Amino acid sequence: MTTLATPRVDAGAERRFAPARMRRTVLEMAYAGSTVHIACAFSIIELLTVLYRDHLRYPGNDPRAEGRDFLVLSKGHGVMAQYACMRELGWLDDSHVQGYFKDGSELKGLSDSRVPGLEVTSGSLGHGFSVGVGIAMGLQRKGTDQKVYAIVGDGELNEGPIWEGALVAAHHKMDNLMLIVDKNGFQAMGTTDDVLALGDLSAKFASFGFETLEVDGHDEAAVDAAVRQLWSTGVGKPKALIARTVKGKGVPFMESDNRWHYTRLNPQTFAEAIDALGLAGASK
Amino acid sequence: MREAFSNSLVRLALADPKVLLLTGDHGYALFDEFRKRCPDQYINAGIAEQNMVGMAAGLARVGFRPFVYGLAAFVPIRTVEQIKLDIAHDDLPVVLLGDGAGFVYSHLGTSHQSTEDIACTRAIPGLEVLSPADRFEMTASMDYAYAANGPVYLRMGKSDRGDVHAGPTGTLRSGGLLKVRDGRADRPGLIATGSMVRTAVDIAAELDLAVWSAPVLKPLLADEVCAAARATAGLVTLEEHSVLGGLGAAVTEITSEHQPTRVLRIGVPDRFSEHCGTHAYLLREHGLDTDSVRAKVEGFIQ
Repeated sequence: MTTLATPRVDAGAERRFAPARMRRTVLEMAYAGSTVHIACAFSIIELLTVLYRDHLRYPGNDPRAEGRDFLVLSKGHGVMAQYACMRELGWLDDSHVQGYFKDGSELKGLSDSRVPGLEVTSGSLGHGFSVGVGIAMGLQRKGTDQKVYAIVGDGELNEGPIWEGALVAAHHKMDNLMLIVDKNGFQAMGTTDDVLALGDLSAKFASFGFETLEVDGHDEAAVDAAVRQLWSTGVGKPKALIARTVKGKGVPFMESDNRWHYTRLNPQTFAEAIDALGLAGASK
Repeated sequence: MREAFSNSLVRLALADPKVLLLTGDHGYALFDEFRKRCPDQYINAGIAEQNMVGMAAGLARVGFRPFVYGLAAFVPIRTVEQIKLDIAHDDLPVVLLGDGAGFVYSHLGTSHQSTEDIACTRAIPGLEVLSPADRFEMTASMDYAYAANGPVYLRMGKSDRGDVHAGPTGTLRSGGLLKVRDGRADRPGLIATGSMVRTAVDIAAELDLAVWSAPVLKPLLADEVCAAARATAGLVTLEEHSVLGGLGAAVTEITSEHQPTRVLRIGVPDRFSEHCGTHAYLLREHGLDTDSVRAKVEGFIQ
């Protein structure tokens, strides 16, 4: 049985999860912490927006609630996008943003499950998905309607355990599990086509037994519709959403420029990037 | 000893439905009883150990108590990073069962032999390491691992060497040594683990030496090791594992800081097996057969 997730809507929901403001949070953190992986966070902003706003259930707005859905960020280097969502939810505040990477701070440069709101310790790639498969198996055995979303990078698909987990998820009919591929076409040292070509991902996951859809990963309405469609079809099948994205999306000079995988902001590029978000008049 | 393992696993699983057994398509008849009595708690995760260990972490995150079985060459060795990151980092209650440790698969060569697993697991923060010597220690180790409610590696080595204890050991103490026999205070004491406890007992009977078994390799209490050092004239460690990073290392780490003592580490030299043969043959190749060990201990006495 597939059950549509109940949207977690509250009075403030509409004002939350503005992608431009979330990108600003990412820039502020990256600047404050003088850190990298900005473009890797930008490609999943809309995906996370839709999941947090319309799908993930956190009873009592509690990131550790027993009955919650699980967002597993297997591509742990995109964690600043998740921090931005957590700020929208009020789980993080300005001090976390401005204090990013200060000595003794809790928020790391990669997903760390000791932080409430983050489910896995990832960054070493190919780990989070397997943990997500285990969570999905556990929820399935408990008979709950909780869902697991696992976001992997397309570069991360080079890792063998992803495919081990895909076999297991299909074999055990985990229709409470959705794998979301952030298909931005780049990995650390080049394009995925040049480094290790992935071929037709939809066909690959379909052949593994996944219910599969492709979507423009920056079109919120399309992502929302695709997520709903995947949950409502393919009984007994795990889901794969192949999201076509742009690495560095939202700041034109970062888009599809792979240097922003590993480049730090300086005062000038920080100011230019903030300007490019076009947040004039928007409250921070 | 394997029957004690199977019985313990079945007993724990019947008592707690959250106990799950995950295997990477290994175990054969070892799990016949478990599959018969607890079929819903048995998961063959396929020949995919890395995913299996990560999955165990996910299952533990939502309240299950996974016991993850593989050959020691694969669990833990193939999956050290998953154990470190997915399980130990978050102190999850997962018991890792590494079977065939040491030279059990003596004819199969290096891929199935495991003489570095204690060293690798001992350095992972929060991971306890167990190495039972006989059926009584096995039962106690399984109970200890379940009760620990955290990450545990249980090393299962050569299992047919016979009992070293006269009866049940009682509850294992965290970090505690088990006294197996008394011996002369003016001669070295033997501290052994796993399959080598039997060897230690055999030699000790001839030379009248004290013997302790170390079923809990980590943590290992400094007080226990120092007491053994004070009660004897030097210590000899015995293990079917590399001399680097295992029991010998753990003991010397303690004595060098707290109770300076001459220590002879007997274990596998820093090399792979050259040949194949019976388990007894490989022990001889590495100087771990009873005659070789006796000669080393006698040399140490003089």
